[in-house]
Amino acid sequence: MTTNNPQSKGVLVDLTRCIGCRGCQVACKSWNERSVKKTIMDGTFTNPPELNSECYTRILYTEQEKDNVPAWYFTKSQCMHCKDPACVSACPVGALRKTEQGAVVYAFERCIGCRYCMVACPFNIPKYEWEKTAPWIRKCTFCSERISAGKVPACIKVCPTQVMFFGNYDEVVQEAEKRLRDNPGKYVNHIYGKDEAGGTSWIYLSAVPFEQIGFNTKVPNVKLPALTWNMLGEIPVKVGALVVGLSLIAAFRNRGSGSAGSSETKHGKEK
Amino acid sequence: MTNHWIDIKNADVILVMGANPAENHPISMKWVARAREQRGAKLIVVDPRFTRTAAKADLYAPLRSGTDIVFLGGMIKYILDNKLYFREYVVKYTNASFLVHPDYKGPGELAGLFSGYNKEKRQYDKATWAYQTDENGVIKKDTTLQSPHTVFQLLKRHYSRYLLDKVSSITGTPKDKLEEVYRLYGSTGRPDRAGTELYAMGWTQHTIGTQNIRAMSIIQLLLGNIGMAGGGINALRGESNVQGSTDHGLLFGTLTGYLPMPTAANIDLKTYIEKYTPKTKEAKSVNWWSNRGKYITSYLKAVYGNKATQDNDFGYAWVPKLDEGMNLSWLNLFDNMYKGKYEGFFAWGQNPACSGANANKTRKALAKLKWMVNVNLFDNETGSFWRGPGMNPKDVQTEVFLLPACSSVEKEGSITNSGRLAQWRVRAVAPAGLSRPDSEIMNELYFRVKKLYQKEGGKYPEPILNLTWNYGERGPDGKIEEIDIHRVAREINGYYLEDVYDKTVTPPKLLGKKGELCASFVHLQADGTTSCGNWIYSQSYTQKEGKVINMMARRGREDPTGLGLYPNWAWAWPVNRRIIYNRASVNPAGRPWDRSRPIIKWDPNKEDPVSKKPGAWVGDVPDGPAPPMDTEKGKYPFIMMAHGMGAIFGPGLADGPFPEHYEALECPLEENLMNKQRINPTIKLFAEKEDAFYSCDVRYPYVATTYRVSEHWQTGVMTRHQPWQLEMVPQQFVEMSRELAAEKRIKNGDRVKVKSGRGEITAVAVVTARFKPFKIAGATVHQVGMPWCFGWQYPGDPGAGDSSNLLTPAIGDANTMIPESKAFMVNVEKA
Repeated sequence: MTTNNPQSKGVLVDLTRCIGCRGCQVACKSWNERSVKKTIMDGTFTNPPELNSECYTRILYTEQEKDNVPAWYFTKSQCMHCKDPACVSACPVGALRKTEQGAVVYAFERCIGCRYCMVACPFNIPKYEWEKTAPWIRKCTFCSERISAGKVPACIKVCPTQVMFFGNYDEVVQEAEKRLRDNPGKYVNHIYGKDEAGGTSWIYLSAVPFEQIGFNTKVPNVKLPALTWNMLGEIPVKVGALVVGLSLIAAFRNRGSGSAGSSETKHGKEK
Repeated sequence: MTNHWIDIKNADVILVMGANPAENHPISMKWVARAREQRGAKLIVVDPRFTRTAAKADLYAPLRSGTDIVFLGGMIKYILDNKLYFREYVVKYTNASFLVHPDYKGPGELAGLFSGYNKEKRQYDKATWAYQTDENGVIKKDTTLQSPHTVFQLLKRHYSRYLLDKVSSITGTPKDKLEEVYRLYGSTGRPDRAGTELYAMGWTQHTIGTQNIRAMSIIQLLLGNIGMAGGGINALRGESNVQGSTDHGLLFGTLTGYLPMPTAANIDLKTYIEKYTPKTKEAKSVNWWSNRGKYITSYLKAVYGNKATQDNDFGYAWVPKLDEGMNLSWLNLFDNMYKGKYEGFFAWGQNPACSGANANKTRKALAKLKWMVNVNLFDNETGSFWRGPGMNPKDVQTEVFLLPACSSVEKEGSITNSGRLAQWRVRAVAPAGLSRPDSEIMNELYFRVKKLYQKEGGKYPEPILNLTWNYGERGPDGKIEEIDIHRVAREINGYYLEDVYDKTVTPPKLLGKKGELCASFVHLQADGTTSCGNWIYSQSYTQKEGKVINMMARRGREDPTGLGLYPNWAWAWPVNRRIIYNRASVNPAGRPWDRSRPIIKWDPNKEDPVSKKPGAWVGDVPDGPAPPMDTEKGKYPFIMMAHGMGAIFGPGLADGPFPEHYEALECPLEENLMNKQRINPTIKLFAEKEDAFYSCDVRYPYVATTYRVSEHWQTGVMTRHQPWQLEMVPQQFVEMSRELAAEKRIKNGDRVKVKSGRGEITAVAVVTARFKPFKIAGATVHQVGMPWCFGWQYPGDPGAGDSSNLLTPAIGDANTMIPESKAFMVNVEKA
């Protein structure tokens, strides 16, 4: 695992600064050339209701009322880019991997469509293109190609209120700790993601308890891959057979998609 | 804006009232956040609905739509009662000490009216609103502020009726919230604290819109916040270049640079100048509008070039004239169109079928036209009105042409933001398809119309034939082949047409050489030796030591004051001044009121760049180079006012010198609880059956308002075609309180009908704690709100919905005629 090398990037999401404008949601779609899945207004501003294969990040709107006074919280969600990602460990064919820079990325051509990653992820991030005849897994890539080119991820670039602080992982954690220290009473005393799932590259500060604004606070503070492999280790034979079977399906699906095609998908050209 | 976007970071208290910057001006929230995090500034949001901006506020106070003057009037009273005002500023920099005509009477004495009301004309004779003057014409003052005729005492008397209980019972704002807001905002009356106010359409779109802003201006003057870094009264403009468009004479009543549009009675240039050049006997007043003659003459020289001569009054006769009292604002235009008075209409970069109040009437009006030209990026509900809901294409005779315009990133030019900052932009991509920049479409139009006039004569060809149009290289037929937008910008800046000298000094000093670009409007002349398309933009594209400089294209990142002025980044009108009225930020000796925020200060040792004598201002470009007010040659700070003082008393407006509360045309109350006049007595009432209004009518029991959302732009023409935007906000919705929803048995996500006296739309119910029922005069009043970004044409699904402007009334502000889209009455029923 590579999170602790000096190039490894991280992001602090300071939710107290988020104004819920959803510029990030659009910038993500634009950079990753995502299409949409039809939505309706169903009584809340949150749209789409969940992340999906065409939507890698979205704002969750949480409304509250205390003593007759309303409150409204905005939570950006996307892949947390775990230090030791369960999805990477769960993938039997190495389609997912953690890069030197901290991003958890996905190679389409290797995927066999088993969706173990979806089950393994404690944050419910990887999504499957259910409606497609040749489906793939989709999720936030940390804009790894932008980072490689010395740029910041698209959602960070466009954010008008500097909700996200991007930098080397260690600096990001230090910044979070500094903000907690310097602003007593402003935040709940917790950096979400610092320890959850053994630590994630994206970490959060919030003014309200995380469980109230859409975070899974039941995620244990341990590296999840260990758990995954313990579980999987109990059924090695069955898994082996499944991997072979799914590989055949993947080969069938990928037929005709030449190397040019698959390199394009890495840049999100595929719709 | 008196100030500018970045300056929000310098504020100690930020009052957002009549605006929703988090949703409509997201970038501004960067500076709000900076002020809060770095200065510990407090954000107050006052809004009928708990918005995304309110979600970030330190203090939120709800109020019923249309009651802002009551809320602010209560604040004025609080500031006066608790002596929170900045006394020295008030005495020396405002008209608080002026004595008003002894016969002046206010609404407290005259049942809601000011003295001089004429019921038939629905107008005021303002004779009693005048100031008392001495035998030399100088305004009489009482700097002790004790005389009962002083503006200060009249102000006190006027707002003595705005008692906390009454304010609360009209606005529906809880008393404790009122006091909290008043106390916090009132804290900026200290010299070392600054408060800024951000407003937008939430204040302008009312029958009392202008007076909403006036009320806040009074507060800002009382607290000494005008001219200060972190202060001011700041209109957040609704489009990226709407400031530029009004600067350049978009509105019917003004030419460029806010020169009044001539009326028929101003028969010649002399009469015009005489009428519109204010006079003053105040020795220390700059009275900047005394330069009117120079600006109008230079404007005429820009428009008519060599054809404009001293002998023909510089072509003044060719300028179109309004009839006396004629008002050609939006509602009147469409009323006239509805009455069949127009044959044709250019809908240029707009979508009136969805954007204008009372859109049903607008859509019917379009059907009365013979032809319409729709210049837009996309076809829209206006261009396709003839196939819209309720229209039978067979019955519509209007011939519609669509001219595809390219978008702002497909052309070069300047954009002026709310902070008066004109920024030059280069073209990013070539125009798509056959689309063209607006200037090219105008070029085509101009030469074709001109040709027709040349060939056929016509009633009055001179204004077209004599127009200058030197914006590019000419083809063999004399037509400009391609518009060079830089030439337009240079014409706006203006030229020296002769060698121009300053004749006030001996020997006369050369100001500029013939053919060169003007240095600034200070050099403009009334004798036809200079041209200038828009005086406030003079200096934007200039020449220094022979070298031509597009000031708007500058990209310097220096910030010498640390206050975020960035004086070398682009260019702000006037003369690159970033905060206007900044001479009010220093005391009469020229020292900053607040030494931690010195926007300008007088340095007696620094050499003046023009006179070369010691003594000059440092910091922002000051409002005139005159030395501090207390010195012999010193001047008053409010240079655009004839008397030089900040106007606490504002006799120029149609509906009163002090803001007074009147209810919206449609409101839930039988009577105005503040006075006996229910609605603004000076507004124009429209009489077509489509203009119906229903106040206090059981059929329309709920207050309604309209707004925008971050996810869509204006009527949505540019965003409804964009699936990414539509995914986030796909359908028309109506927000309402849980209490109202329970009463109407409406559940979150239900489809509902929203009806007013003028129209009906279907929408999805968003049941929320962010709207709360109001307690108004002891009774429960519900309010609902809807965005106005939808239209029938696209996305076109049955559930997407039509414009909420089908519901809004055709009634305008007494001064501006801006429609009252922010307070009207509806009913809501489950569909």
